[in-house]
Amino acid sequence: MIENLIEISKDELLGEVQKAKYEGYRFVTASCADTGTGIIDVTYHFDKDLALRNYRIKVGKEDEISSISGIYFCAVLVENEMKELFGLNIANIAIDYGGHMLLADVDFNAPLTRSQIVIEQRGGK
Amino acid sequence: MAKTIVPFGPQHPVLPEPLQLKLVMEDEKIVEAIPAIGYVHRGLEKLTELKEFTQNVFVVERICGICSFQHAMAYCQGIESIMNIQVPDRGRYLRVIWAELHRIHSHLLWLGLLADAFGFESLFMQVWRDREKIMDIMEETAGSRVIISANTIGGTRRDISKEMLSKIVGVVDEIKADLNRVESVFFNDYTVKQRLVGVGVLSKDKAYELGAVGPMARASGIKQDLRMTGYAAYGELDFEPVVETDGDCYARTLVRLKEVYQSIDLVKQAVAKIPEGETFAPCKGNPDGETISRVEQPRGEVLYYIRANGTKNLERLRVRTPTFANIPTLLHMLPGSQLADVPVIILTIDPCISCTER
Repeated sequence: MIENLIEISKDELLGEVQKAKYEGYRFVTASCADTGTGIIDVTYHFDKDLALRNYRIKVGKEDEISSISGIYFCAVLVENEMKELFGLNIANIAIDYGGHMLLADVDFNAPLTRSQIVIEQRGGK
Repeated sequence: MAKTIVPFGPQHPVLPEPLQLKLVMEDEKIVEAIPAIGYVHRGLEKLTELKEFTQNVFVVERICGICSFQHAMAYCQGIESIMNIQVPDRGRYLRVIWAELHRIHSHLLWLGLLADAFGFESLFMQVWRDREKIMDIMEETAGSRVIISANTIGGTRRDISKEMLSKIVGVVDEIKADLNRVESVFFNDYTVKQRLVGVGVLSKDKAYELGAVGPMARASGIKQDLRMTGYAAYGELDFEPVVETDGDCYARTLVRLKEVYQSIDLVKQAVAKIPEGETFAPCKGNPDGETISRVEQPRGEVLYYIRANGTKNLERLRVRTPTFANIPTLLHMLPGSQLADVPVIILTIDPCISCTER
């Protein structure tokens, strides 16, 4: 059981994150978990005085979500990581590595998802 | 003025592991820095889904050698919280002792690397000579110098005898005496101060905004240390985080140096208070549920997000390591600095790429 877990819609994300910043929360990180049903749980973790507040959104594999790096710049690395390892479609990341922060052209797409390995590699090879 | 892009790394004498920073320069001054990681990413998070949850203790230890004990501890605490396992008191104290010994050797390693980075070879050797004493303790108590595999779900798989505990106190006292002899070099030496004071300044507000953790945050005046939450046996020991306010490379050095003394004190407190009894509680069944476990590693806060589904395999294990959180601070500290200061500034975040590339 995770304490202070708040489920929100992806449309509410930026508003809630802005509110967390206004209330003095530190951005800790975000975690993805593939539910195996085509939905990825994305949990954003924030800390204030050593207590966590967690926001969770459910994201379909085709959905686009907004980057929070405009509010918390330090989210750039984890958002690029989520984009590459889970194939999330995150728009407007402050520094977007274009899918090449961790992966090379020859690597499989979204290697941390539960989908079966498809023999199709990046770069059309 | 014309701008030049200088690739700093991935192979550089000051970097033991591959990390690249693309430095946009105007003459010798940096105007922008863009980090590039991913050279040695291992996909260990995926591996933990394929191994049984009990085997993962050994996988997470291999995320990083230097803070291997705290990785295993964070993971075990997470599983224990899902499965409602109460760790025996002796196990909790043993965890503190080994964790603080790891912090001492990590900080001594860093202090030596810092001295080496600005060319103070004799200081580097003095500090690393003391670190060897901790490595010897690791070997004597657990059979291995770096990855000691002392943690298990439910407590610790090994005990430390009364005689060995006395020996540990003797060794940390020796280290304290040795450090007392060299600390004035770190505190007062002209060359050291010239290279560190006023370099790579990170203000308190900026450190908080950029999500800095560990000694990085504490050197900028943020009193943030997860040991304050009292996990393991920390709640039963006298502990106050080391905080400096200048936010420069010198402040980060002072924090780590003072934390060595603090860890020595914590080891001695834990040895004095450790009760007799079992070191672990048996783990029965499989975990079902999700949790977040956080621990203060030598480099700062590590976060484990664990999701289990009642089988032997976890659905998800996510690790956010302290270096991953501290890299964005470089993007603020480096612009405006001179090229010659880049190695020292990078080193003061104590970068651990094996953690970052878990």
